[in-house]
Amino acid sequence: MERRDFIKALGASLVVFQTPLLAMSLEANQPTSAQPAKLVWVVLRGAMDSLGTIVPAFDANLLKQRPKLASNIKEQLLPLDNGYGFHPALANLHQWYKDKQLLPIVAVSSGYKERSHFDGQDYLESGLANIDHDSGWLARAISQKDVNAIALARSTPISLRNIPQANTWYPSRLKDADSDVYQALSSMYADDKLLLDRLNQGLALQGLTQQESNKSTGKFVDLSKACAKLMIDPKSNVDCAMLELGGWDTHSNQNNRLARQLEELDNGLHALKQELGAQWQNTVVIVATEFGRTVKENGTLGTDHGTASAMFIAGGKVKGGQIAGQWPGLADEQLFEKRDLMPTSNTFSWIAKALNEHWKLTPQQLARVFPSVPIASASVIHT
Amino acid sequence: MSVQATIAINRFGLGAKPSELIVANKAPKQWLINQLQRKPAIHFNSDVAHSNEIMQTLAELREQKKSNKNNLKSDNPSDTPQTKTPKVSYHRQTYLQLSIDTLEHAINSEHSLNWRLLDFFSNHFSVSSAGPVMTALVPTLEREAIAPNLLGRFDDLLISVIQHPAMLIYLNNEKSFGPNSKVAKKNGRGLNENLAREILELHTLGVESGYSQKDVIELAKGITGWSVANPLKDKEQGFKYRRSGHEPGVRTLLNKTYSQKESEQGKSMLRDLAVHPATAKHISYKLAHHFISDNPPASLVNKMTACWLATNGNLKEVMTTMINADEAWHAEKLKFKTPREFVISSLRALDLKANNRQLYSSLVTLGQQPFKAGSPAGYSDREDDWNGANALISRVNWASTIAARAKKVQIEAIIKNSFSESISQLSYQTISRAESRKQALTLFLMSPEFLRR
Repeated sequence: MERRDFIKALGASLVVFQTPLLAMSLEANQPTSAQPAKLVWVVLRGAMDSLGTIVPAFDANLLKQRPKLASNIKEQLLPLDNGYGFHPALANLHQWYKDKQLLPIVAVSSGYKERSHFDGQDYLESGLANIDHDSGWLARAISQKDVNAIALARSTPISLRNIPQANTWYPSRLKDADSDVYQALSSMYADDKLLLDRLNQGLALQGLTQQESNKSTGKFVDLSKACAKLMIDPKSNVDCAMLELGGWDTHSNQNNRLARQLEELDNGLHALKQELGAQWQNTVVIVATEFGRTVKENGTLGTDHGTASAMFIAGGKVKGGQIAGQWPGLADEQLFEKRDLMPTSNTFSWIAKALNEHWKLTPQQLARVFPSVPIASASVIHT
Repeated sequence: MSVQATIAINRFGLGAKPSELIVANKAPKQWLINQLQRKPAIHFNSDVAHSNEIMQTLAELREQKKSNKNNLKSDNPSDTPQTKTPKVSYHRQTYLQLSIDTLEHAINSEHSLNWRLLDFFSNHFSVSSAGPVMTALVPTLEREAIAPNLLGRFDDLLISVIQHPAMLIYLNNEKSFGPNSKVAKKNGRGLNENLAREILELHTLGVESGYSQKDVIELAKGITGWSVANPLKDKEQGFKYRRSGHEPGVRTLLNKTYSQKESEQGKSMLRDLAVHPATAKHISYKLAHHFISDNPPASLVNKMTACWLATNGNLKEVMTTMINADEAWHAEKLKFKTPREFVISSLRALDLKANNRQLYSSLVTLGQQPFKAGSPAGYSDREDDWNGANALISRVNWASTIAARAKKVQIEAIIKNSFSESISQLSYQTISRAESRKQALTLFLMSPEFLRR
């Protein structure tokens, strides 16, 4: 097989798929339920500070390492188990946690060892021991499961590259043309079946996402809503989606910036759940970031590039309401290279477990998705 | 007007500027071949920054930022206002200025075949922006390394590209050192195979052409020490060969031994790769695929490959062979324009000026932001990757937006100049029955004839 195909950009966005779901391979151990298992992959670009998000308030070293950053929000934390607390901006996620539908996992790392955002993100999306810009783990999982996927992005992110099942959608900044233009186009395309089909599909999609399109801002909350609409519309036949949220690189002034970021994430995920409606029960949302941030605060009230961070798995059937992952401690001698949170488990091994339990991928299939990482042993989804 | 003239202008060029069809019509093939005789093949404004100057400025800005940060640390940070940064950063400004400059040249050019070819090789040797250094450097590769060698021999083009700072940094060769080199022994730095792998897989032989992992490593070792000068430490600028990082010894690539010393070793390897039969076939196919059809006829690719091998990869001769081949002149339009081609040809057809911001956002909105493919394989050159439903609607909306700005144009003249008689009755009637000039121009740009070439 060729290692790479070319990049699908916005142009590939044939969203209203025409081919019905192909039968899954027998190996896949298909569940009898007719409800499709939906998956949403959310990448937080810029390295989310996990210590400011799922705050280990029980760890006495937190205040020593971050005297200014940690003292500011300590009183307002939303309580979780084992002495952890959510950042106050995560009100919706806190409710999910209480409803046992959100599983926060602490001290995870993809295994990427350097501190470059771009390589770190490519690594997180590629899911291989060596970055391949043209093969993503989600695409390899989709190849096993054979569902259609959409990236809410202008061009196909690495996660979804190199498969025919993936497409993109993004709101346009452009004003819609007058409706009689579309009418004239459909008569002009009468002899050109391909263009006529694409035009009709495009117009159907435009109707479906009208509200989000009109705002044209590409805000995370709007993309999340559009994402859910595309996933529940029976015509669109999309069972997997990818969202991105940037802006996590909080080198300075972290408390203000992180609060804004977390609020945006919290609102977006809330909107996603609302729009998914009953499908929330069949949906698993996985949220991860390329790496964590330094344990110590820096001189500009921020933090720098680190190693371990946190991730979330959420959804109607997720075994939530507990904190997963082993806590490595924050004392100087417990840190990775004396500066970063030490990873205690691998991001991909948790994702592999979720794919195993939610999409019923077998260990053999998962070996093709994550060739270099074992599947986590702890169950994450009620099956 | 001949059908050949409209093919010459649309399939090989970037679409007709006003009255250009008349010029091409005299002798369409010769009109193209004459473009290939131009020296230089293309000409850039020289008043924009060179990569050496850009690297210098970036290094100085980094120093400045560092000292600002230190000053900030010594004070009480909560009382000190953040250092002011300009609204648009230097690297972003440079990226926009240079990448839009290329686009403008292409829109205004009277020898657009050469600009098409520049785009082709710029995408063949794709570099992507990420972070300040790459963002500022990406648009310099095509200007400094590709343009001067565009119609010369492929080995010169290849070496020039591989030694350019944008490529060396993008594929991590600037820090690739031989395991037995002095540098490696001193600080444990090692080999990075990234650039060598892409040279074999993408730039020359092509995937599955019979090279092995061992060849990748041998080539990687052959180009160890090919690095980039640090503007604040080194005397040189741009490409710098770091002798102490070069892997000593003889290399074997594709069963041939290379006993050359120093940077000559890597150069010899690249020169041989440039004229290897697999390279000749790989790039001939890619050129035919780009200009002629997503499924180019084997006979055409064979002619071009034979020419490549006979002329040691003379790109002007290979292009001439393609233009002279009958297989290139079928009437049917088999290529769907990429967003970049669509934007350029639309502005040429309507004779519209667009400012930098408009040009840039056009490409972003239509999905082909300059130097943002995010993969060394570059943007797709296949119809399926550009003709999606959402993409088509974006094109309609974009076309309608720019059609509103074309105030004085005569739609009849534009149709004639772009297609002569080669437009279907249906398209022609739909366009001419439009209720307004704006709508007519939108329909013209979105006609099957204009979307393809």
